[in-house]
Amino acid sequence: MSASPHDLTGAYALDALPETERATFERHLDTCPACAGEVRGLQAAAARLGAADTAPPPAALWDRIRAEVATTPQLPAPADRADRRAGRSGALAGLRGGRRFPPLLAAAAALLLAAVSVAALGLGLTGRSGRPARTTDLVAAVLAAPDARRVAARPGGSGQAAVVVSRERGRAVFVAGGLPPAPAARTYQLWVLGGSGPRPAGLVEVGPGGRVTRLLDGPVTGTERVAMTVERAGGAARPTTEPVVVVDLA
Amino acid sequence: MALTWTRREPARPPAGALTGRPAGDALDQLMTQVAGGDERAFAELYRRVAPAVFGLVGKVVRNPALSEEVTQEVFVELWRDASRFDPNRGTARSWIMTCAHRRAVDRVRSAERAARRDDLAGRRGQVRPYDEVADQVETGLEHEHVRRSLDALTELQREAVVLAYYGGHTHREIAELLEVPVGTVKTRLRDGLIRLRDHLGVEA
Repeated sequence: MSASPHDLTGAYALDALPETERATFERHLDTCPACAGEVRGLQAAAARLGAADTAPPPAALWDRIRAEVATTPQLPAPADRADRRAGRSGALAGLRGGRRFPPLLAAAAALLLAAVSVAALGLGLTGRSGRPARTTDLVAAVLAAPDARRVAARPGGSGQAAVVVSRERGRAVFVAGGLPPAPAARTYQLWVLGGSGPRPAGLVEVGPGGRVTRLLDGPVTGTERVAMTVERAGGAARPTTEPVVVVDLA
Repeated sequence: MALTWTRREPARPPAGALTGRPAGDALDQLMTQVAGGDERAFAELYRRVAPAVFGLVGKVVRNPALSEEVTQEVFVELWRDASRFDPNRGTARSWIMTCAHRRAVDRVRSAERAARRDDLAGRRGQVRPYDEVADQVETGLEHEHVRRSLDALTELQREAVVLAYYGGHTHREIAELLEVPVGTVKTRLRDGLIRLRDHLGVEA
């Protein structure tokens, strides 16, 4: 009925649009700098309405938030900042409907794949001199395997993570990007969840940029689930916390 | 409260140094630090904005247990998505409150959609006056300022804005409650908020 979507800036800034209209209007905002600018100002005004009235939260709330945040990886910075409109929480809202896989990880994985493929070609899969295969070679072997599959963490999981699995090689590699360091005196630990319960699959060292490439200890068939939990430094025999990442290989 | 987390020292340049914004934007700086995984900055951010977030969420969801739950979601989201905050496109406070309001409204709508719809007809003509809303909160300079700004709106503007913002109602529900066309509500929400913006002297 309304020919011009420009009328909707106020309703949008006050979150008075039903979900479908909100989504439609957000698409409009992507192409209308005038509306986007007006929305920013109106959201700032609405924020003043919100911030004017305060209520002290119960002390226990902070403990719960701190505990959850300790196991919640952060999103990496968006590649293209200019693409974003501040104040619009569409970026936030978009996550609920199904996480877009961050380009950073895809790029990192691609780079890694390229690098280790070369390594694999050069070294041979078991090492040129017949030495026992080194971890990097095994990683290379998995990533370069013709049947390698990359399975992203389930949407709704809290990480930018994936597992690359090769049934042919019977091994899997956990990769992640933007993973925050584990909390003090804690470590990330991987698990393979098969028919016989969780099996420890190694501790995770978080590299620069929160990047991780970790060969899972032990064989996989490619039908299990892979989980990562936060455990006491040194790891645990069985998972003691809720997984921060779950990847279903099946 | 005791802060038991590790301090991570690698000092980042303050946000202001990079953006040219005045150094007073302490919240903006904190957000930028939080984006870098600084848990101490996150604790400080919580200390500063949790009362406003909790206050707003409580007003919208009107259920103490649910308010805590939504407030927790808001802060976990702020932590997770901190890198999306861009100090050049608005203040951290605005970003945070926008996020909190969106969460609160979404929760109210999903949890109580059916109940509220059934209830709506019964509540027609029984709109909570904004005075009642305003009287529930403590006084303060900011509060007085906002209240005076609300006073500057026409009655219809004010009712529409308050029903939307504090009541979490959609434009259609507001139209029904105030017995005016939806188009009128859209317009009043916009010009009411514009007047509020100008009165508050908000910079985007």
